[in-house]
Amino acid sequence: MSAPIKGNVTSINQSPNGNFYQFTHNQNTGNDGLVIFLLTMANSVTPSNATYGGVTMNRLYTINRGGLSQRMAFYYLVSPPTGNNTLRVNFSGNQWNPISVHVKSFTGSGGIGASLRSGGSSTPHNRTLTVQQDDSLIVTTSTGVNQILTQQIPTGSNKTFVTHNTNRQVSVGAISSDVGHSTGVVNLRATATYGNLTLDRTEIKGLINSPPSSGSSGDFFLLM
Amino acid sequence: MYTIIQKIELESQNNVKFSDVGYTTSDIIICDVNKYYDLTLGSFIGLNRTELETGSVLIDTFFNSSSYVYEARYLVDTIEGLELNEITNINQL
Repeated sequence: MSAPIKGNVTSINQSPNGNFYQFTHNQNTGNDGLVIFLLTMANSVTPSNATYGGVTMNRLYTINRGGLSQRMAFYYLVSPPTGNNTLRVNFSGNQWNPISVHVKSFTGSGGIGASLRSGGSSTPHNRTLTVQQDDSLIVTTSTGVNQILTQQIPTGSNKTFVTHNTNRQVSVGAISSDVGHSTGVVNLRATATYGNLTLDRTEIKGLINSPPSSGSSGDFFLLM
Repeated sequence: MYTIIQKIELESQNNVKFSDVGYTTSDIIICDVNKYYDLTLGSFIGLNRTELETGSVLIDTFFNSSSYVYEARYLVDTIEGLELNEITNINQL
């Protein structure tokens, strides 16, 4: 097994002022690429689709956080085009509120694994994610009314994150240490200064290394 | 991280376009650019959000008095291939 290799990050907190938003993101060169795109914005409109380099991205989830008047979404694309490409997200109508955009590239990734979402719960918000594969990474994101203080992956290990303001507080970009996690349950925690916050978590798989073939074409040593 | 500074102009009656004009690592420039945005276009949108959503106010109203504004809320960790110049003085904008 090998953990995914973290690549470039793009993080934006602007108002689209229209029915789509687009920007440039640089996907790293390398085998088994993956790009993920996390979006949080006012729930007055919905994201209809997203493309990267003109290729339609897969939507892992979109969820309405009605109590916070927010909508959160997660898109991804396996083997995306490399280099600078346009990421475009289309909306069901004009979005005049600030949005939170976070894009992260990987190479050496086996794609998306387990993913769970949990709505607002009082700080500290504790959850788990059962990792499906050794050496996977976990990304988390939260939103709430009050300042978000920590994203802990696993619980007790604070990870850096970006703070955005979408008329709510958003933390995005927290990710496991480079070595990843062993298969099984991982405890996670998000904290805020006060009140409730959400906690969404998604597994980014590494690669399963293939065992050497048993045929006669491989190299071998003969010990005498 | 690098912060890309974008020029925001009217594209159509109720849409704007964003153009990358340069990058900076200066917190002072980022703060100055965003402070001006917040006082101008940001304030206009904040005051008229409901009307903009219903269409009773159009964004071109703002651009009658100002042809463009800048914003610096686009963070990247590589500028490779973007062919952008570094902005070291706000007067370069």
